This record gives sequence, C-alpha cells and structure tokens, in this order.
Amino acid sequence: MIRKLIFVLAIYSFLALGCTKLNEKFQGDLTASQVSGGGTNVDALLKGAYNSMRTTFQDQTRVYCLWEMTTDALIGPTRGPDWDDNGVWRVLHEHKWDGESIRVREGFNDLSGTVFAATDLLRFNPTPQQAAEARYLRAFAMFMLLDGWDQVPYRDPGESVIAPARVRKGSEAMDYIISELNAVIPTLADAPVTKANKNAARVLLMKCYLNKGVFASVDTRKTPAFTAADMNQVITLADQIINTNLFSFTSNYFDNFAPTNTVIGKENIWTQENVSGVGEGSPTVRSRYHSAMHYKQNPQGWNGFTTLSDFYNKFEAGDKRRGANYPTPGAPPNPGNRVNVGFLSGQQYDWTNDTLLRDRPGALLVFTPGVKSIETGAELERTGIRAYKYPIDYTNDGSGNTDNDYVFFRLADVLLMKAEAILRGGTATSAGSYGGTALAIVNYIRTHASRGASTLASFNLDQLLDERGREMYLESWRRQDLIRFGKFLQPWQEKPQDDPKYLLFAIPNQQLAVNPNLQPNPGY
Amino acid sequence: MVEIRNVYNLHKHPSNKLLAMRKIKSLRLLSLLVASFLFIQNAQAQSTVTGTVTDKNGKGIPGVTVSVKGTTSATQTDEAGKFSIAAPGTATLVFTSVGYSTTEIPVQGKTNIETSLGTLEASLNEVVVIGYGTAKRRDLTGAVATVTEKNFNKGTYAAPDQLIQGKVAGVQVLNNSGQPGGATTVKIRGNTALTGSGRPLYVVDGVPLDGRSSRPGLNAQNLGNTPGGNPLNFINPADIASMEVLKDASATAIYGSRAAYGVILITTKKGQSGVPKIDFNASVGSSTIMKRIEVLDAQQYRQALTYYGLSNGNDKGSSVDALDAILQTGLIQNYSFAVSGGNENGRYRLSAGYLDQEGIVRKTGFKKYSADLNASFKFLQSKKLGLDFNIIPSQYNEDIAPISNDAGSTGSLIGQALQWNPTEQLVIKKSNGQDSLNIKAGDVVNPFAMSEAYSDNSKVTTVLGSISPYYKFNDWLEYRFLFSLNYSTGVRRTSIQQYINLADVKGKGWASIANNELVTQQATHTLNFNRQIATSLNLNAVIGYEYMKFTNKGSNTTAYGPAGGFGNYGLDYTNYIQYSNSGNRTISSFVDPISELQSYFARGVFNFREKYLLTLTFRADGSTKFGENNKYGYFPSFGAAWNIDKEDFMDNISLFTSLKLRGSYGITGNQEFPAGAAQAKYSFSQNGGLGQVNNPNPDLKWQSDKQYNIGVDFGILSNRITGSVDYFNKTTTDLLFPSAPIQPAPPGSVVRWVNLDGQIENKGVEAAVNASIVNQRDLTWDFGVNATFLKNTVSGLSAPIYTGGLHGQGVSGTLVQTIQNGLPINAFYTRYFAGIDKSTGLAIYPEGDVPSFVGDPNPEVLLGISTSLQYKKFNFNVNMNGALGQDIYNNTLNNVINVGSINGGRNIAVSVYEDPIKESFSNPVTSSSRFIEKGDYLKLANATLSYSVGNMGRNLKNLNIYVTGQNLFVITKFSGFDPEVNVDKNNNGVPSLGIEYTPYPTARTITFGVNFSL
Repeated sequence: MIRKLIFVLAIYSFLALGCTKLNEKFQGDLTASQVSGGGTNVDALLKGAYNSMRTTFQDQTRVYCLWEMTTDALIGPTRGPDWDDNGVWRVLHEHKWDGESIRVREGFNDLSGTVFAATDLLRFNPTPQQAAEARYLRAFAMFMLLDGWDQVPYRDPGESVIAPARVRKGSEAMDYIISELNAVIPTLADAPVTKANKNAARVLLMKCYLNKGVFASVDTRKTPAFTAADMNQVITLADQIINTNLFSFTSNYFDNFAPTNTVIGKENIWTQENVSGVGEGSPTVRSRYHSAMHYKQNPQGWNGFTTLSDFYNKFEAGDKRRGANYPTPGAPPNPGNRVNVGFLSGQQYDWTNDTLLRDRPGALLVFTPGVKSIETGAELERTGIRAYKYPIDYTNDGSGNTDNDYVFFRLADVLLMKAEAILRGGTATSAGSYGGTALAIVNYIRTHASRGASTLASFNLDQLLDERGREMYLESWRRQDLIRFGKFLQPWQEKPQDDPKYLLFAIPNQQLAVNPNLQPNPGY
Repeated sequence: MVEIRNVYNLHKHPSNKLLAMRKIKSLRLLSLLVASFLFIQNAQAQSTVTGTVTDKNGKGIPGVTVSVKGTTSATQTDEAGKFSIAAPGTATLVFTSVGYSTTEIPVQGKTNIETSLGTLEASLNEVVVIGYGTAKRRDLTGAVATVTEKNFNKGTYAAPDQLIQGKVAGVQVLNNSGQPGGATTVKIRGNTALTGSGRPLYVVDGVPLDGRSSRPGLNAQNLGNTPGGNPLNFINPADIASMEVLKDASATAIYGSRAAYGVILITTKKGQSGVPKIDFNASVGSSTIMKRIEVLDAQQYRQALTYYGLSNGNDKGSSVDALDAILQTGLIQNYSFAVSGGNENGRYRLSAGYLDQEGIVRKTGFKKYSADLNASFKFLQSKKLGLDFNIIPSQYNEDIAPISNDAGSTGSLIGQALQWNPTEQLVIKKSNGQDSLNIKAGDVVNPFAMSEAYSDNSKVTTVLGSISPYYKFNDWLEYRFLFSLNYSTGVRRTSIQQYINLADVKGKGWASIANNELVTQQATHTLNFNRQIATSLNLNAVIGYEYMKFTNKGSNTTAYGPAGGFGNYGLDYTNYIQYSNSGNRTISSFVDPISELQSYFARGVFNFREKYLLTLTFRADGSTKFGENNKYGYFPSFGAAWNIDKEDFMDNISLFTSLKLRGSYGITGNQEFPAGAAQAKYSFSQNGGLGQVNNPNPDLKWQSDKQYNIGVDFGILSNRITGSVDYFNKTTTDLLFPSAPIQPAPPGSVVRWVNLDGQIENKGVEAAVNASIVNQRDLTWDFGVNATFLKNTVSGLSAPIYTGGLHGQGVSGTLVQTIQNGLPINAFYTRYFAGIDKSTGLAIYPEGDVPSFVGDPNPEVLLGISTSLQYKKFNFNVNMNGALGQDIYNNTLNNVINVGSINGGRNIAVSVYEDPIKESFSNPVTSSSRFIEKGDYLKLANATLSYSVGNMGRNLKNLNIYVTGQNLFVITKFSGFDPEVNVDKNNNGVPSLGIEYTPYPTARTITFGVNFSL
C-alpha cells in the first residue's frame, strides 16, 4: 500500500513539476511576433530609431569628434594627467587612426545601429508616414557612413542579424540614398522640424548632389569633380526650401542653439528634440561645453577640447559668431558681459562676480591661442581657445538633460550650399530675398545683424570654405567640407601633410573579422 | 520573523500565489514536525556502564556524546574522556563527536567499555557527499577534497567561501574587496572564463544555488559601479559542517552544464542522536587597516611643491591624513547558538546567528541575522519512510561606502582620500564650535565630506527551504524526492546629500531606491541503488530527473532634488523621493526571461573486490537559454581507481598504509550567458521607445570543458603522513563569448553571443600533504601544505579579445588585457615602458603606442600552509596562503596618485616623489608596463590560540576560549593595499583579472571568543 502510494506520489510530482518543452518566454520584453501583434508599436519603434541617433550625434565621442577633431577646427590635447585616453583624441587630429581606433569603431557602429532600427520597423506594417520617416533616418545614417567609410552595410527588413550584411559602396550607395530620399519626400510632412520632414530630406538631398562627385569612389575623394547637372539640383532644392518661407534669420546667431532654440531659432530645418529635464537615457549637447570649459568655470568643465589659433583667426573682430554673452535661464549675471558662448579666449572671469579665475595650480586662467597635441609645460591647463556654440542650459546642466535641441540642418547651410553650387558651375537663381549670386548670398549672411561681419568685395571657393568654417563651425560638417574642397590632406596646426588613405576612416577591424563583405579601406 | 513576512507578500503577485500556498503549507507541516519532537522521547530501566573514550594516541577525548541507541538517554565524556551512563545490558552505545567517526558498541552485559574514535580525516570509510548521493572516500575515483569544520579557517567571515581559502589544492579564493560581505573570486583549477563569473557551482544540502546575489547593483552619480555582494552571504558559516570541493570531471559531471568551473558542496550541521544539546559561540573583536598605500604627508607635500617648481599656493597650511579620516576601528560581534538532538526516529537542529561587523571604512558594516532549522524523521514501523527538511532564513544589512570599481576622474572615496591635498583641512574649525566641512569649489572632493554626504544601505532577505521525503524499498533501493525553494530579495536605498561638490549632485542631491528578487525552484527525483550484483562486484548507482526554474526581476527609481535641492534637513532623501521634479527622475524595471533547466542523470560506481573501482556518470541538460537548435547538452564522464594497498603484494610493504591511483575523463559545461540571447528581443526604453536590443543566435549552446585527471592518494607510516597528488588538464572549447555584432545591428547592442572557435587550456599539478609531526600525549604538531602549479594558454581564436578597462584620469576607454592565441588568458597587453627620460622628465616608450605582452595576472603557484600545535590544553593554529608568479596592474598609481596630480593641487604617491629620476608633472598619463607590479605574496591569513578549559561544573561542557588574528601580515612587494585583489574591470562581460583600483582596503582583525555546550 505504502509502496503504491509512494509510486503514485512520485509519478504525480514528476508530472506536475517536470517535463517541460523548455520554450523560453520573455517577461518584460517582446518577441518579434508580439511586436507585430501590437497596435501602436510602430510609433514606439520609430521613437527607438530617433533615439538611436542621440549618442551618435550629441555625444562628443562619435560624429562630433570624427567630423570636427579630424580637422583644423578642433583638437583634444593631452594635458598631463588628463585627456590622454590612450591617444584616442590625438589620432583623430593627427590623422593616425586605424581599424582599432575606438572612436572610429563606435562611430561606425552607432550610425549602423540607426540603419538597423530604421530598417527593422519596416517589417511591422508601418503607415506610409512612419515608413517615410524611417527611410529618411536610414538614408541620413547611410549618408554619414558613406561619407566616413565609403562602405555602407545593409540588410533587408527581417533579415537575420547573425548573417554577414551586404555592402554598398561609392556611387551605388549614393544612388540608393538619392532614390530613397526622392521616394519619401512626397510623403514626409512639412513640420515639425524636430521630426524627419520634407525640407530636411531636401537638405540631405542637396548634400548628396553636392558631394556626389566626391563620394563616387575612393579615388574621387582625392580629386573631386562636380557636374553642372548635380549643382543645378542643389540650387533647385535650395530654392524649394527657401520658397516655403518657413525659415528665416533672427537677430541673434546663438538663438539657433539656445535652450529654447526650436521656438526661437527660425533657421533650424531639422533638429533632434531635447526636452528640458527629460532624460532619454542618452547624452545631450551638454558635453559640447563641458568638454571645452575649464574645471574652475561654471559649470565645472572637463578642460578638454580647444580650437586652433589659425581657425580662430579666420574671424574678424566684429563677427558676432565668434562669441557673445548669451543669457540663458538660471545663468549667473555675468556683470562683466564676458563671452559665455562661442570662442572663449584670453583671461576668464567668474560670471557671477566678474573676478579673475585661476587654474588649479593657482595661475591666472588665460586661454592662450597656442596649443600642442601633448601639452607639457606649466601652462598645460590653460592652453587653447575654447569653443562651443550651444548656450549653457543652467537649469538642466546637473541632470545632463539639457533643453537645447541638437541642430542637424539650418537655413545658413542651405544658402551656403547654394552659393557653392553656383560657384561650381550651377545656374544662379534668386529665390527669396537672399540675392542672385554666390557673393550676394554669402554677404547676406555675413552682414545680417545676427552676424555683423563686413561685406566681401569678391569671392572664390577658398573664401567660401572659410565662410563655411565661420558659419558652420563645430556643427560636424568641417571634415566633409575640407574633403570636398580638396584641403583635408594639407598640413595644419598639429597635423602634418598626410596619406590619402585618411580621406576615409578605417573599417573597424572588429567588423572586418565578422563580415567578409566588408573590405579594408585602401591603405589600412 | 521578517522572512515570513516576505513569504506572505508573495500573495500580491497572482502568479506566485500557488508558490506561496505551497510555502505556507510547508510551514504548517514544519510546525507539526517540530511539535512531534515532544513525542520522540522515551525511557526504560538501566544498569550503569562506565568507560573511557580515547583518540588514536590513547588520549581521552572530552565532550564525546555517548548515547544509548534507540533512546534519548545520553551523556558526555569529561575532560579525561571518561563517561558513565545507565544502559541495559542488551543496548548498544553510540559514540559521536564532531571531527571523529561515529562508533557503535554493543554493551553485551559489560559494565566497562574502552573505545577509541578515529578522526574523520584519517578515515577512509568516511562518507563523502558527492552530489545526489554519498560514497565512501575509499570508493571515490574523482578528485574530491573535503574540509570539515575542524579545519575551517578561524575568524569572522560573512560568507562560507572564505572558510576554505588556502585549504584545498587547486582552489583560489580572492577577497575582491575588504568590505565586510564583499564578493570573492573563487577559481577551481585556474582561469577558463571568457565570460561570466568563472565561479564554481555551490550546492547547499543538495540544493544548487543560482549563483547571483539579489543585492541590487548601483551606479551612483559620478562615483561608478560599486562592487557586487557575495551570493553566499545568507549562510552562517557556523552552521556548516563540511565543504566538499569537486574538482575533476569524474566528480563534477553529475552537475553537467553548470559544473565547468567545479562544484562546491556545502553540508550544514545536523542534529546528532542524544540528549538535547545547546552549543554556544560568542566572539568580539576589532579590525584596522592591514596595509596602507603611501602618499605624501603634509611636510613631504610642501617639499614636493618646491621640488616640482610649483607655486606654494597649494600649501594650505594644515596637516591632515585624509585616509585616516575616512577609516575607523571596526568592531565585530558574532554570536551563534544551536540546539540539537534526536534519536533513531528523528534528529533536529535549530540554530540562530547574529553577526555585526563594522568595516574599517567609516559608515560601512555588515549585520546578519540567520537561522537554520533542519530535521530528519523516520516513519513507519519499518523506518522505511523518511523525511528530511532544512530551512535557512536569513537577512543581512549592509552599509556600503562610495567605493566603486570604475570611478572616473572624480574618484571614489578611497581615491578621493589618496588624492586629498594633505596640507588642506577636511573640517574647518570655527571658534564658535560650529565646525563645517571643507567643501571645495571645483572637482576635488573632500573624502570626509563625501563619507558624510553618502548613505547606501542594502538589505537582503533570503529563505532557502528544502523538503525531501524518501522511501527505502529495501536495504539496497531508495527513492528520494527533493523540493526546494530559494527566495531572495534585496532592497537598496542610496542617497547623496546636495552639499557635496559632485558635478551633477551639487545643489540638488540624489536618491536611488532599487529592488531585486531572485527565486529558484527545484524538484529532484532520485533512485539510489546499492547492491552486490555479482561475486565481489558492488554497484552503487543513482538515476534521477531534475527540474529547476530561475527567475530574476527588479526595479529602480532614481531622482535628483527639485530646484533648490532635496534640502539639508538631515533626512535621507530616499524617505521623500517624491519631492523631486518628475523630469529629474528615472524609473526602470526588468524581468529576465524565466530560465528552466531540465535534466536527466545517472551514475554508477562499480566496486570490484574493494580494489578496482569504476565510476560512470552521465547527465543530459536541457535549458531554455540554449538556442532552438541545441536545446540539450550531454555530459559524460568516467573515472577509475585502484586501491593498490589492497593488493597482496603490498602486504609486505609497510611504508604505505594506503595507496590509491585514480584516473578520470569527462565533459562538463557552462551556460553562463544572459537568458534571452537566443531569440530576437524587443525592449522598451524610456518615454515610449521600443526596439530590438540583441543579436539572437539560435545555435547558441553550452561551453564545453573536457578534463582529464590522474591522481594518487597515499598514507604512509600508519597514516602519519597523508596526501594526494593530481595532474589535471582541462581544455575549454565552444567558448561562450560576447562577440561583436555584425553591423547594421540593433543600436546599443554591444555583443552577439556566440560559441567561439578556440580553446583555453589549463593544466597543472596540485599536491596536498598533511603530516602529524609530533604525536604525543601532551604535545601534537600537525603540519599541512598544499600547492598548485598552473599553466594557462589560449589558442585557436580568430581575433584577439580585449578587456581590463582602466579608470580614472586620462585613461577613458583604455583596455590593458587581451585574450589571444599563444598568451595566457587575460595577459597584460599595453605599451612597454623603458623609464623616465632624465632630461625631460617624460616617459620613454621605445615601441611608441604599439602594445605588447607585458605581464601575466595568472599565478603560477598557489600555496596553502596550515599548522596546528597542541600542548596540553593549549592549541595554536596558523593558516597561511599565497600565490606566486602573477602580475598586478596598479590602476591606482597610474591614474589617481600619479605625478600630474600635484599640478592639480592633489596628492601623489611617495614612490613617485622619491624616485631618483625626477618625473615632470606634465608627463602624460597613459597605460604602460610601468604600472605592472609583481603580485607574489604570502599572507598570514589567520592564527588562533585557544585554551580548552573543558567542563565546568555540572552543566557547562567543552568550554573553550580563543583569540584569533586575521590578515596579521602579508609579505609582498606590491604597493597597493593588498596583493590579494581583483577589482572587476570587465569589458562588455569579458572578465578582467588582477587589476587594482582604489579598492576597499583589507582589514586586520583580532577577535576574542568563547564557545561551550550545555
């Protein structure tokens, strides 16, 4: 009897507690089939795709340093115990990166991440509007990959992520991006500027046509060629944007970058929205000023990046873009009316009471123009003119969730591209009130009350490049500009003449190891 | 009790209701069972039997329990080992004592009985727990080491893993941090973990543990991630009777896919037959820092400012020792008592423990309340039906300091103390007595103020309960069922006051509340068979089925204060976190996919003529974590042994009392990768975002460890010298590895779990010898030494893997370790440093920025030495451990107290200042071989002097008083706090090894204790 009972109990507990099929069930996450079952999930997926661009563009460690520190506008010097970081900044400015460089790798990975997120949502039956936004984001990420690496890995929606991705290069990638943009423009909305919109797609298309002759292959980057047809496309698109009359210049250049820039910055065509105090789990533009400011400034900086004196000297003294006292909510009173955004040069003051600031060893905090890749002297904390163009959001500085929206595209860029297209053989037009020649357009910008620079009497491509530098500094376009103007390999401060291989970043070794469809870029 | 409250809380989760019901039912059952103790007692008429119990040397053993079998009648031997007990002439006397084998002697009408008890260690008939069963040591074919209570390390330990540090050849135990209750690194037979913890599987009385701690992790603003807690903290070391370390595949394969890093079986103390007995143990003590990191004092600092040509503006005129300011003398109190007893119908033991251990860093400490109730009963007239149960409730509270693994340039508490300008006061004295903290502008954080401003408390509550009914069909077949539930929940509340000058916290304050819940359920069926199946051939076999289920979930809320901050009311911000602005809060929660493990296993031990032994083991493990295409893994092993001493030709060789040759081969596995890695997973992110987050791999499977082992066990000169020597060779393949995603991949996904080609080979020799050097009536001297010689190589990898991330100033993103072909695992791989250029004061790197192999963190030799000297009633016991041949990367010297700090107004290391070559303070700080130091050490881990008073009066028995010193000294050239260090510097889940970075310093502890029985 007992034996029987034991036997029955044993069998029962065996059946009750055992013999599972071992199918894994998520609890707080979804499987692909659960995603497709939900109603509003595509909105959430689209938000995920937008969010994937935050670190990529807003942090100092991805696109910002790859597109600015590799140029004459920005350097990240080693300051004794600070900022050597295993040389990761130095290799960018000195053009010594390779397939192991972490900045190059992370930039490639993060841009590709957006390609993935924007592609993946296409398999969950998005609305035409959702699909158009996603395809636009993908086109933009692909454009940056093409610019930086010439090789753009891609997959179709739903394709396995553990299989090697296929790769488009040069003209093939560019043609794909252009066809995607043309396909989505009719569907995209006119507003808001914080989302993928018609005019943002037009600006990107302008950049495609402007750089088409540059990005066609590895070799065309060495000797860029431009066709009148492409240039006329740039001009036509610029005029379409201008004629919407949605964008204009305001009285202060820094309005476009202020904590409330989406409201007051009328130039902005496409931004990434940062909401006051609301974290999205990723960095905001706070790193722009923290990475530049000294430890003794308010807010306390990281005493890192600076510009170079030759770049600073491109500005004339009266150019308001060079720096200003731009009041923001919560800011100290700045009784001395000292520059607190733009280029910080010379003696620095406490913005609360205008007393002289000193560095940590006790010397006067004077930002000197000269800066070396590796600083070794007693002045090592003070060298270099500091530059940032997002006015400080004191209200949200502590939490890091600053309100300043990140600016991708704005009107001045459109106008400068139009001027460039005219100089490169396009047919001049006179849309809006900005003038009908390249010189007139550039002078309109320069002499607008928000800039206050002098009128140029004559004009050539070299001057246009300098003007783009003055207008667009630290907006992550300098590298692209220098390559398009054929200047990227020339020596500048703390960088010698270098090998043409540096016109492209190295394909990360880590990716070469896992994807046979990627090839090392020539020379690496 | 608090633990029960948590059980009832389960009702709030409908899915757990059934679980809770079961739990409550089992609690009711327990109370019934406890009540039944009352009915076990019984008595009958007697005559008096007297006698003496001696050890193998003829010396009387005090405190031996002498009981009349089948009754509650029992007594204990006196100081001289003498006893007197009333027993009928037909009775059998049972002699039991901890550390000795139990002996039964029929009275057979005698009035005087003299007997001798063998010690357990010497006894080859000793029963060893081997997983899903037991075996006689004599029958083992695998490498199994047993450490019993008698040989445990003495002193105060929060968790049991430290009890066997240095005790077992092939086992390395590192205390990662000096924080009481901090995590340890335990490695059996070297380092084979490309990922995961590399920790052995712990099994407590047949219940395999999850291996994680439910203490929530913390990444406090700017301070970095604090080190993890020890998952074994819930057990009171005083409740442990023995620990078995299963090392080779013959022993471990029965645990299959979780056994690759070895298995440690923990057996708790059980009641003994006899009258109820109370054991009591109390100790008090104090700790101080064992070894300091030398930084400049105020006078040296002033000289240094001149020496480096800096303005004396940074001479602030005072003289302080910032490290002293954050340290304290930590007081320790540790009490435990146990009631035990029983008879042939049932045995029970109930214990309770309380440990209150202050750390040596201010505002740190560990407080534990624990209990263990276990009992076993036999039912029916035939005694064939039985029931064992064990319930271990515990709760521990930790006060944790802001000491982290990966603090950036702001540093964590230790870094801040080392860097503090010694001429600058920490507290500003005011004439009115209203002293204030010296909070500086800028990024130099006052460590004393940091300590004041920071509060971090964690509370972990665990209940481990198991119930195991069994039925003996006959004397050779037994069915057993084991159900266990391990419920653990952790709550952690952390706040940082707004007055501290941490960049993001200043003026606002910060608070975090985190919860975590870990539940493991287990149901195991086993059928044990033990019978002679042919002439001279015995088979001891087990077959079984096991189901396990693991759940892990948690949530976290953090917030900054509103405009104006949380305020300076002196309250903990976590008490009113709602005061924060909604925009300054983050909320997150997670639930891991439920992991299930379903297993079938079998083992047979064939014994032919007591001479030839063969063990065959097989386990099939199915796991929800494995990919669709590899649901099941199969883990076979076999082992053979030859008891040579049983051979006739050994009869004339008197040297060897025992001699055994063993050999084994088998495969075990490791499945330490996150659940949910095999299928596409979409996760919700903040503010309405959703996206795929992983790179699913449906081919994912366990990592495979193939191991062979050849060993010999010997006892010579009547077992005066015993020992074993093993050679092992362990090859790990199908390496589970977080590889790079193939772009375009889900944004933010940094890994793609794969089984990597390549292999890690660990081979070595381990030897342990114990000798009874002097063995006289009043004087005995035992000496034991164990040593392990290890060699580790990596081969077949398609690309190098990097890990070992440095932190602090100027090394963001720097990795200094590699796992690559031809090098030992975790080899140091960075710039070669050739010295400081005398003319410029700058470092010379002859190979530029090109990294090379510059050091090996893996020890070549592990050493454990223990000796015990007994003179009359005095006993002196010393345990030392050490490791030789390993290198340590000094991330503290590299990035916290380097020469450049003095330019920033901070302190530097004495070694930098006193270097005959003057280094420029502008010498760029970067990783290099300069900071790799020899890590060889020998540590006096603990020493105990005890005096055995014996019995006092009628009731007080076995009174023993002792004094124990822990970490009395360490012999090393390493300049950090302790060469026994392993700060977690993993990179994307690939573990690091042997990097030191401003850890919680090691404590030197002295405790006084007393124990006795009633």
